[in-house]
Amino acid sequence: MPPICPYCSTTFDAVDKLKTHIIAEHGAEPLPRPEGLIDLMVNGERYELQVEPNVTLYTVIHDRLGLTGVKMFCDRGACGSCTVIMNGRPVLSCMTLAIECDSATIETAEGIAAAKHPLIETYVKHHCMQCGYCTPGFVVTAKALLDRNPNPTEEEIREALSGNLCRCGTYPQHPKAVAEAAKLLQGGEGGTR
Amino acid sequence: MKNFAHINARSLDEAVTALQRYGKRAAIIAGGTDLLGKMKDEILPAYPEALVNIKTIPGLNLIEEKKGTLSIGALTRLEDIAIDARIIDGYPALAEAARRTASTHLREMGTIGGNICQDIRCWYYRNQNNRFACLRKGGGRCYAIDGDNRYHSIFGGSVEQGCYAVHPSDTAPALIALDATIKTSRRSIKAEDFFQVSVAKTTVLDDDEIVTEIQIPKPAGTSAFVKFALRKAIDFPIVNCAAMVTVSKKKVTAARICLNAVYVKPYRATAAEDAMKGKAINEANAEAAGAAAVSGARPMPYNAYMVQIAKTMVKRAILGCA
Repeated sequence: MPPICPYCSTTFDAVDKLKTHIIAEHGAEPLPRPEGLIDLMVNGERYELQVEPNVTLYTVIHDRLGLTGVKMFCDRGACGSCTVIMNGRPVLSCMTLAIECDSATIETAEGIAAAKHPLIETYVKHHCMQCGYCTPGFVVTAKALLDRNPNPTEEEIREALSGNLCRCGTYPQHPKAVAEAAKLLQGGEGGTR
Repeated sequence: MKNFAHINARSLDEAVTALQRYGKRAAIIAGGTDLLGKMKDEILPAYPEALVNIKTIPGLNLIEEKKGTLSIGALTRLEDIAIDARIIDGYPALAEAARRTASTHLREMGTIGGNICQDIRCWYYRNQNNRFACLRKGGGRCYAIDGDNRYHSIFGGSVEQGCYAVHPSDTAPALIALDATIKTSRRSIKAEDFFQVSVAKTTVLDDDEIVTEIQIPKPAGTSAFVKFALRKAIDFPIVNCAAMVTVSKKKVTAARICLNAVYVKPYRATAAEDAMKGKAINEANAEAAGAAAVSGARPMPYNAYMVQIAKTMVKRAILGCA
């Protein structure tokens, strides 16, 4: 059976022609996307997922994609552990509905590590962790800062990281690590510990 | 979170239609930082059957300045407002209020429309699984009256023995001081008439009404915003204050001063405004205006300290306009 246009019943000899016709003549999508089907670009890889409305972006990234660098602590948007970079903005994946992230570009701690970002090296060098649970959230937030502001002042670093909580109390080390990563990114030499 | 239907509205009409279809059983989601927390804790009197996502509506995320009016789309993120050079220059009270709201992440997610429509943070109301059936949930009493009311209203309840929760927004007092107008899907409302003292809602919006834009006239004077919170970041205000003061020949000709987190809705300190008229901006006059602002305060057993803070916030906001 030849393809028939559902709007005007014209017949075509190929499906592609029907698709072009529907877009051009009727201004409609030839195949409507099913509810809850999302397209994500995570760390440069494309994923197509079917999600329920009540599923958060955290659940999708951590449980379904297996990227466990994104951490769950407060689940209320107060601690920053679940931070990911979505379309250039550091956002809390626990307070983001996955269904609203269609065609988003997302970067997690795994992507930052794979890209050999100097932050990883400086975070290790300056011992910015004790238990390490909050660290990926800090690194992701710091990366988002450096993307926008390649040469932040200490005050700007502190302010950018103020939404990340660390119960071990590693706070004093973070501005040092981020400042050094900024220097390394600009081709400078890292300082001493 | 329990499940719900999710609707991506592609236009304002589509969103309004969806809201009308569900009536009180739907909620609007933009940034989601307030709403999702409430849904996870299940503290809403009725769990929403549907969420209408308005982030998919084009044209509501903008900052534009023309003909002496600044227009900010309802979906504009607080961070974008905090770093916009035009706003920092011409409307410093708003830029500072946005900058002092929550944390970096929440500012990147939260919208200005959502910030003024946010719900109260009273710890009895927000207690998980509706443990306290307070007035806002159709229960018979406000638990803060006899309970721990250190963060509650110092200017009385919604009515006598009514709800004593405070309005937590940082941007709301700035918008009131700057004499902003809130445009919704069906009308324009002055910012100071936008908030309401009621136990059901914090704004005058109907169930199917959506904030679309905020318009601020070019300020005649200078403006400032100050906030007192326990921590610099993340925290909601204990008290905040925004002021816009117009000075001519070293005398104040007009002042708009608004406190927040001290009353059920943002509290316009008209007594302080009157106290400043015809006076110069200096330490003594600002102090007197601060005292005037809190002269009508009726603190509760545990929040008398907020009166002193409110007084100082008014003083600092006025001095900030010098």
